[in-house]
Amino acid sequence: MSAAREQILARVRAALAPLTRRAPPPEWDDASAVRRGTRDAADPWALFAERLRAVNGTPLTATADLVALLDAGGWRHGYCDPALWPRLRDAFPAPFTVETAFDRRRIDDYQFGITAATGAIAESGSLILSDRDTSSRLAALAPWVHVATLRRDQIFVDIPAAIAALPADPNVIWVTGPSKTADVEGILIEGVHGPGRQVALLLEP
Amino acid sequence: MARQRIDAYAARIPADTRAAVYLGTKTTHEKRTLLLADHFADADRLRRWAGEVKQHVLENLDTYLPQVEARLQANGAQVHWASTAEEACAAVLGIMQARGATKLVKSKTMVSEEIGLAPYLEQRGIEALETDLGEYIVQIDKDHPSHIVRPIIHKNRREIARSFEREGLGAYNDDPETITRRARQFMRHKYLAADVGLTGANFVSAESGRLVVVTNEGNSRFSLAAPRCHIALVGIEKLVPRDRDLVLFLNLLARSATAQQLTVYTEFISGPKLAAQPDGPEEMHVVFVDNGRTEVLAGDCREILRCIRCGACLNVCPVYRQASGHAYRSVYPGPLGAVLSPLLAGGNFAEKADLPKASSLCGACNEVCPVNIPIPDLLLRLRDRGKREHAAAAAAGTPPMGAWARLASSPAAWKASLAAGRVLNILPLGLIPVPALRAWVAKRSVPAWRGGEFRKWMRRRTRP
Amino acid sequence: MPADRQLPGADRRVQLMATCLCDAFFADAARATVEVLEHLGCVVEFPEGQTCCGQPAFNGGDWTASRRVVRHAVRTFAGELPVIVPSASCAAMLFHGALLEFEKEPDLPAVRQLGRRTWELADFIVNALGIKAWAGRLDARLAFHRSCHARGTDTGAAAVALLSSIAGATVVPVGEAEQCCGFGGIFSVAFPHLSTSMGALKLEHVRAARPDLLVGVDMSCLMHLGGLAEKAGQPIPARHIAQVLRDALKNGGLL
Repeated sequence: MSAAREQILARVRAALAPLTRRAPPPEWDDASAVRRGTRDAADPWALFAERLRAVNGTPLTATADLVALLDAGGWRHGYCDPALWPRLRDAFPAPFTVETAFDRRRIDDYQFGITAATGAIAESGSLILSDRDTSSRLAALAPWVHVATLRRDQIFVDIPAAIAALPADPNVIWVTGPSKTADVEGILIEGVHGPGRQVALLLEP
Repeated sequence: MARQRIDAYAARIPADTRAAVYLGTKTTHEKRTLLLADHFADADRLRRWAGEVKQHVLENLDTYLPQVEARLQANGAQVHWASTAEEACAAVLGIMQARGATKLVKSKTMVSEEIGLAPYLEQRGIEALETDLGEYIVQIDKDHPSHIVRPIIHKNRREIARSFEREGLGAYNDDPETITRRARQFMRHKYLAADVGLTGANFVSAESGRLVVVTNEGNSRFSLAAPRCHIALVGIEKLVPRDRDLVLFLNLLARSATAQQLTVYTEFISGPKLAAQPDGPEEMHVVFVDNGRTEVLAGDCREILRCIRCGACLNVCPVYRQASGHAYRSVYPGPLGAVLSPLLAGGNFAEKADLPKASSLCGACNEVCPVNIPIPDLLLRLRDRGKREHAAAAAAGTPPMGAWARLASSPAAWKASLAAGRVLNILPLGLIPVPALRAWVAKRSVPAWRGGEFRKWMRRRTRP
Repeated sequence: MPADRQLPGADRRVQLMATCLCDAFFADAARATVEVLEHLGCVVEFPEGQTCCGQPAFNGGDWTASRRVVRHAVRTFAGELPVIVPSASCAAMLFHGALLEFEKEPDLPAVRQLGRRTWELADFIVNALGIKAWAGRLDARLAFHRSCHARGTDTGAAAVALLSSIAGATVVPVGEAEQCCGFGGIFSVAFPHLSTSMGALKLEHVRAARPDLLVGVDMSCLMHLGGLAEKAGQPIPARHIAQVLRDALKNGGLL
């Protein structure tokens, strides 16, 4: 393969050699690239919640509301990050059964997965997940409902801030609402390979 | 004179295919326009900046490619290089064979179409399953995608339902939700059984070595959550200089492609999984693919390499809307394809030289391009090349212009024809054996010839 | 469009490039152009040796043939005067297209010099002569077709500003206005199915706006759309903007 490397790089150099001048990068400013109504929003959580609802995500501020939502949907068996479970356990009454290890051989058993978010972006209503903070990539992806827990101080107002703060993590993913497709006649269907419900649960200290 | 193939194709496509393509493209285009105006005070400035960033990368690729390779290796990824489609396929095969792997799941990457990866692997006993719903349907139908973002824009639900039934995914049911749920159920077990997840990359940051992969379905994420090995196929032009530049591109890509602010999943991958993470690849490979791109870089159409594969040009193009993607006989259709496909054909340029002719040069494509590619100018350059290389496909339907040029550089000859042309007012135009005239007259009337009238009037007016 | 275009001198002397289409078919559009320019105080020269801007061969890919014709235009329009063209596509050929095909030619500077002096008519009236509103009267619903070569120039805005300002005139919006009419030069005969399909779609949108007149800045588009409509038995009155501006002046007793 290194023969190909040398050939390709040599061809690139030869292609660019005749240029008397190489195009410089432009000076561009973040502010022009931020969506209207973002930077002047009063409360990042409120803006995040509004933009998340706009993509059919579900922002919640109380664990009791989460339990009610899961119960109403008939989703009573799921997974929770073991580091989060002690804090949440008391809110989940008897019919709920929750595992703190995700067994991928029984992937269809889990109706919901609760993991911790690394951050969020108010501008787009996106949750930020990372390998360090997500106890299982599959638990956050495969069940019908994904719940990401979030703290206020984790919310970035806009995309430039979130990019500037990309953690040194091999895998960071922004999740903006439930999975979807419009491949069949352009008709929007939610819940394709990923969750059909995306919840963000704000946990106050 | 031979007929242009794309025109003939457009005349033959079924009415409901044309209607599906027209509706799908127009709807997305109009939403895109509204969204950009709603979200930004000056979206055009963002497009121009993004274009300049990409032009800068292309003109400094000799610096950025080694830089990105070093970053990727420092992050724990293995970097491979492939000059040709064959080498790229062989690289993927080699990685799989080294692992004793026989099952691969792939998310959408046009480069994999370009190199013919799935058939190559299937012929060598490897299951290479498309996971994007549209691409999966294309695969089971042994069809080709007709749009780079909406691969089955040309299909309706009934055709899809029949295909699913044939594949054993259930009795005929053409409800879109049912179709989607069946794909969900079927695919998740395939991800879990696969050894390797293959993706493309929408962008690669030369600064950090991060790959950025965007989807709505979650299929690329699943391909990176279940299997233990990740292979990314990346065209050498997919680089951006810094992480910061991703702000521009991420803001423009989804809005241009699907009229969304962001796709559901925007994944930043800089290496194999963290040790403590139970899911995901332990091994990561990046295959940088040339396959003709360096030749394009060396030529006078290098701006086409800025393309971020959003499909906005397809959606606005009046020719694409009438003809549909398959008319272009290429992996890349539409305005993008009309430039890129003949160029990537290398020695077979002549075969695709008609693609740049299939355009009225309206310029709507450039107007929507998030990286401001001057597509009409590039089409014109390719027409010049098609003529100089005597490509028959380009010449079809085009009247020879040599005699006209002589006429139009001789005022005496020109004025004589202005007078002589009056004969057109009395001759039956449909019978005159000039192909161009007959093509016109079939559906359009010809205005009255008034050659010489204005000049006579002007002479009288300016005479003292 | 060149950033540094040449404005007319105090004497408002200009050269007229009538365009090959007006020379052959649309004499009245060329006449109206002269009448309008003279009404605005211009002295209009018509170099008799003119023929064509070279665009048909340029678009067709025969750049050798096209360059021959452009060179003839450079010689014919020699000098320093602004060159006014009642066609957005011919104007764009001279200030943009020609620069591409002369990129490697020694006489590129002469071609560029001509391009810098070239103005499409509506753009010239509004942005060189500073006319903000048009005098006269025309009681009509006008559907304006902004030809594709006006993209990226000030022509479309200038034309709409002039038309909207005419007393009695209403400029009616046309659906999918950004979509091409399908003419495209040689495209119209090399890809006849595509060309006429695009044209039929455009006519549908135009008719839905119920205009009295279809107005454009390019006779090529109007020849294609008008020809399609007439052959289909549903003719639609089409005029060049110069004709509309002239007729408004006449109606107002100013010409």
